[in-house]
Amino acid sequence: MRLDDLLSRRLVVLTGKGGVGKSVVGAALAVAAQERGKRVLLVEVAAPVEAARLLGGPPSQGRETEALPGLFTVNLDPAAVMDEYVRHVVRLEMLVRRILDSPIYRRFFAAAPGLKELMVLGKIMVLEEARERLSKKPRWDLVVVDAPATGHGLAFLKVPLAASAAVPVGPIGHNARRVLAMLRDPGRTALVVVAIPEEMAVVEAVQFHRLAAEEIGMEPAALVLNGCHERRFTDEDEAEVLRLTSEGAEGELEPDVPLPAALRAARRQIRRRKLTHFYRTRLRRTLDTPLVSLPFLFREALGLEDVRLLARKLEAA
Amino acid sequence: MAPRLSPAAALERALATKRILVACGSGGVGKTTTAAALAVRAARSGRRVLVCTIDPSRRLATSLGLNQLTGKPRAIELTRLSPPPSRDGALWAMVLDVKSTFDELVTRHTPDAAARERILGNRFYRHISAALAGSHEYMAMEKLLELSADERWELLVLDTPPTRHALDFLEAPDRLLDFLDTSILRWFLRPYFVAGRLTLKVATRTGAIAFRLADRFLGLQFLQDLSEFFLAFESMYDGFKERAARVHELLRESSSGFVMVAGPTALALEEALYFHRRLTEKRMNFVGFVVNRVHTDPAREVRAQRRGRAAVAPELAARLAETLREQQVLARVERRAVARQELDTRERPVLVPELEQDVHDLRGLAEFGELLFSGAPAGARRAAVAR
Repeated sequence: MRLDDLLSRRLVVLTGKGGVGKSVVGAALAVAAQERGKRVLLVEVAAPVEAARLLGGPPSQGRETEALPGLFTVNLDPAAVMDEYVRHVVRLEMLVRRILDSPIYRRFFAAAPGLKELMVLGKIMVLEEARERLSKKPRWDLVVVDAPATGHGLAFLKVPLAASAAVPVGPIGHNARRVLAMLRDPGRTALVVVAIPEEMAVVEAVQFHRLAAEEIGMEPAALVLNGCHERRFTDEDEAEVLRLTSEGAEGELEPDVPLPAALRAARRQIRRRKLTHFYRTRLRRTLDTPLVSLPFLFREALGLEDVRLLARKLEAA
Repeated sequence: MAPRLSPAAALERALATKRILVACGSGGVGKTTTAAALAVRAARSGRRVLVCTIDPSRRLATSLGLNQLTGKPRAIELTRLSPPPSRDGALWAMVLDVKSTFDELVTRHTPDAAARERILGNRFYRHISAALAGSHEYMAMEKLLELSADERWELLVLDTPPTRHALDFLEAPDRLLDFLDTSILRWFLRPYFVAGRLTLKVATRTGAIAFRLADRFLGLQFLQDLSEFFLAFESMYDGFKERAARVHELLRESSSGFVMVAGPTALALEEALYFHRRLTEKRMNFVGFVVNRVHTDPAREVRAQRRGRAAVAPELAARLAETLREQQVLARVERRAVARQELDTRERPVLVPELEQDVHDLRGLAEFGELLFSGAPAGARRAAVAR
C-alpha cells in the first residue's frame, strides 16, 4: 500500500466488523499523517471509549480537541449533531430552545430511520469542507473517520444513497447527494476495510468490500489486516520445538521460566502465525486491493508508543 | 433459596427449559457463534430449536458452514455429528430478512389491497424500510413475536444486531411504543402536510411556525413524503402498538432469558456490566455471561516440572522465553478484567478459552458447545479439535 496515496485524500473512512481494532488503526493512520506534518482530525461516532485515551489526549466531549500537536479528536454524539444542525438552521436562540426542549423533536429524532446516520455524515462533510476564516485554507488536511461496525457500517454508508432516492428534493435529499458525491470521489475519500486473521472477520471484509463497490459505489482503497502474528521461529527452530515437545523435554530456560510452558506458548504462536498466513493469502487471492498487515500487540494496555509503532508499520508497508 | 447453580449448569438448564434465549453483546465478541453453539447444543439434547440471527452481515451462515441462509427457516442436518442427536432434536436456522419481513407485515396487517399498495408503493417506504439501521431492531421484534407463536419450535435462540450498544435491540419495542404514542404522529398527520394541500392556509399560528421551521431544516418534500408514509400506515398503528406491547411482555416472561456474550477485554466487559445492570432494571431474566476467546497462561496448563537448566540453544531459549512472557501478559490482563467484572456483577462468567481453530462448521460449533459447558482443560480441547 502506498501510504502517501491514502494520506493524500481529504477523508479516510475505516470500516470493519466489531472487535477488529478499527479505532487503533484509525489512531495509527492519524498519527502517521500527523508525523508528516498534516493537520489531522480523528472522528469517532458515539465511541464508548475514545481514541483520545490511546493518544494520551483529553476526552473530546463532542468538540475537536487537540491530543497531539496538529492531531485533534472528536467523538460525535448523533443527538448533539442534530441539535447543532437545528441551531445552525434556525439561529434564533429562543426558537432553538423551544425546538430542542420539545418532546416531539427528541422522539422524532430517536425514531426517524436514518436521520442519525445522515446527520453524522453531514457533520463529517462539514468538517471535511471547513476552511480557515482568513486564509481560506482547509481547516483539516485529513479527516479520519472510525465508522460504526460493519453490519451497521454498511447501513451507515448506505444512508445517503437511500435518502437521496427516497427524498429527491429539499434539504435532506440535497445534502444526502452532496455526502454521496464526497464518499464516491476517490480523489477525496478513501475507504479502508479493517479485518483480523479470523474466519468471520475475513468473510465479512470480503463481503463488505464487494457491497461497498456494488451498492454504494465506493471502491475500497486499502485493506488493513490487524492483529497479525508473524513468523518468529525458523523452520529448523519450529522442528526443534516439535521435537522437544514430543520428547517431553523438561527443565527451565531461565529461573522460573519452565520449558514445557514455553514450548506450549511457542506451538500456540506457530499455530497463530499459520492462521495469519492462511487468511492473508486468502484475502490477497480474493481481492486485489492493497493489503497491509499490522502486528498483534501483547500489552497490558495500548498507549501512544504502541500507536506510533503501528504508524511506523503503516509507513513501512 | 435454592442453592446456586454453577454458571455452566445455569446455562444448561436455560437451554433445557426456556422458550426464548436472546444472545446479546457488542460486535466482535463471538455472539453469533455462541448463539449458534447454544442452539446446536439444545438440538442435540432433544429440543426442536430455531436459531435466528438478525445480524445483517450473515455471519450465522458462516458459522453453520453454509454459504447462505435466507429469511425462511432452513433445517440443518445434525446427523453428521457424533454422537448423533437424540431422536426428537432438530435444528433450523435463518437470518432476518428485514425487507421481506416488513413487506409480509404490511401484507398481513393492512385492511385491504388499496391500503397495502399505498404502503408498498410509497417511495419513502421502498427506500427506507430495509436500508437503514433501526429497522433491523423493529423487524427483529416483529419476527420474534411471529416465531414465538409457531409451535414447530420449542426454543428460539436469537442473535442480536452488532450494535455498539446491545441495548438498542431491547429498547426497540419501548422506542416504537413511545413514538407511536406521541403527538408527533398527529402532527404529521395534519392535512397541511399531505400532497396537494400544501398551499392551504395553516390553521393555527403555532402550527404555522412549526411548519415553516420544519420546512427550513427538513424540507417540504421530506415532510410530505413522511406524512404520506405515516398516513399510509395509519391503518396499522394500533397493530404496531399492540405487538410492541406484546414483545415488551414476551421479553419479560420467565420463559425468556438473556445470555450476555463478551470478549475478555476490559472494554467489552465494562459494556457487559452496564448491560447486566439495565437488564435487571428492566426486569428481564439474565441467564449468564459467556466470555469468549480467553487467552490462557501456558504455565498454568502444564504440571510443575523438574528444575534445572533445559538443554536448548541460547538463541532459541531466549525467543521461547519471550513468547511465553507475552502470552502470560495477555492472560494476566484478561484474568484481571474478568475478576473485576465478577466482583461487580456477582455473576461468575462461563469462560471459553481461545479455540485452536476458528469455528465455521457444525462440528466446530458442537465442540465449542462442549467447551462452553465443560470448561474442558486445554489438553482435552486440542484432542477434540484435532482432525
